Amino acid sequence: MPSEHRLDARGLPPPEPMERVLAVIHALGDGEYLRAFLPHEPLPLYPLLQQTGFDWQARGAGDSSCELFIWRRHDDQARSAVRHILDGV
Amino acid sequence: MSASDLRLDQAPPFTVPLRFFLTAPWFALLAAALLAWQGPEALASRWSPTTLALTHLFTLGFLAMTMLGALMQLLPVLASSPIARPKLVGGAVHGLLTLGTLALSAGFAASHPPLLRAALWLLGGGFALFIAAAGWSLWRADRANPAVWPLRLALMALLVTVVFGIIIGISRTTSAAGSASAHWTDMHLAWGFLGWVGLLVMGVAFHVVPMFQLTPAYPAWMTRRLAPLLFAALPAWSLGLLLAPQHSFFTVMANALAVVIGLGLAAFAIVTLRLQSQRRRQLPDVTLRFWQLAMTSLLACVVMGLALRFAPGNFPRLELMLGTWLIAGFASSAIHGMLYKIVPFLTWLHLHEQNVRGTLPNMKQIMPDTRTRPQLWIHGVALLLVTVAILHPGFWVYPAAATLALSYAWLGWNLSSAYAVFRRHVMEGLINPKM
Repeated sequence: MPSEHRLDARGLPPPEPMERVLAVIHALGDGEYLRAFLPHEPLPLYPLLQQTGFDWQARGAGDSSCELFIWRRHDDQARSAVRHILDGV
Repeated sequence: MSASDLRLDQAPPFTVPLRFFLTAPWFALLAAALLAWQGPEALASRWSPTTLALTHLFTLGFLAMTMLGALMQLLPVLASSPIARPKLVGGAVHGLLTLGTLALSAGFAASHPPLLRAALWLLGGGFALFIAAAGWSLWRADRANPAVWPLRLALMALLVTVVFGIIIGISRTTSAAGSASAHWTDMHLAWGFLGWVGLLVMGVAFHVVPMFQLTPAYPAWMTRRLAPLLFAALPAWSLGLLLAPQHSFFTVMANALAVVIGLGLAAFAIVTLRLQSQRRRQLPDVTLRFWQLAMTSLLACVVMGLALRFAPGNFPRLELMLGTWLIAGFASSAIHGMLYKIVPFLTWLHLHEQNVRGTLPNMKQIMPDTRTRPQLWIHGVALLLVTVAILHPGFWVYPAAATLALSYAWLGWNLSSAYAVFRRHVMEGLINPKM
């Protein structure tokens, strides 16, 4: 069963949300993904994710903040779990 | 958003903004040294050669230097539109601005026309290159982005400031030496401080204050209307000033527009202070204190500016005080607040981008409060001592110069230390530095 790691960093100033995201994702195992709630879309984080082998998907969380999903690039199980959530399945 | 939507080469290399940030404090230090060397005479009036040298060491060497460096970094982030060939443009602009500022200040201090002429070429070239590069970037930027218009207007105001500066400079270096009227100089100052510095601080604040200080957003009427209103008031006010001697209508117009500009700036300062008092995380923060000092100084400047406009008679000390508080109180404090956020943030970001192995330092380790907080106090004391020195030139000029020097040397040291942290980690753990 894929496992979700939740992180709510909406009350933190930059780059603390990014620091916390990076701390969590490097410990992700097979089938695991991070679901992070951030104060805004972390554009500078994306190049870092791309370089270090992660995929991500972002969507608005409704209050001008951002909900970000991150998983290891070749982890199909985690990817499909995120797709299910995003598609509302 | 997916990886394919991103331009990973958008942000400039670390060295592009950093060279501006690391150079800037040393110009302020040079200004403090000049103040100490020339003594009380340096504060005789706003027109004395030493005062002009001091002013330009601060405005070009410290303010413009950091603001151009920050824009090189912020254009891709705030306006999603990077400056083309950032290393080449950044290096050339930095070199021309550095040499031009030194030549201009030396030319003023030594009353040496050939140096002043060289400075006009160097500074004119540097600013022309920057305005063309940043202008092209902002021209291509998305109009719907609320950051774009204040930045465009600030850049246009910079262009007007530079043109007025060159006109005044040419008139000083030709046979009609000293013929530039006080009105032309006032317009140069107004477009520089209210247009270029004011609109840029405003445009940046609308984004970074809510983001970094976790405040509520600025009200929409302010982010949409204030910058265009102030920008529109400036040429009309300039015209009013120029034509005021010919018809009293233009005096009334200039006075009314001065009130509009003053109220606009005061509204920006008050709203910023109010938003900061409502921030979600009420922890002490040095950058917040610098911003609060900047906004309080701006309010004081509005009061002084309006008093100078409407009080009968001449007040040369108050004129000097207004200039000092605009430069050292408002603009410099806001720049301190920005530098103490942006430099550790860029250090942190670029360390991560370098794929450095091992544990990386966080923001607070890169720029500890124990080093920035004392500088806040020294900066505040320097501001007070300079104020005292303006009111009582004499002995007080020397402690003022000493604390100014200490403050900016401390800032320079803090910024250099952040870069040293970056270099150390890259050298220790890294594989392929992308400088």
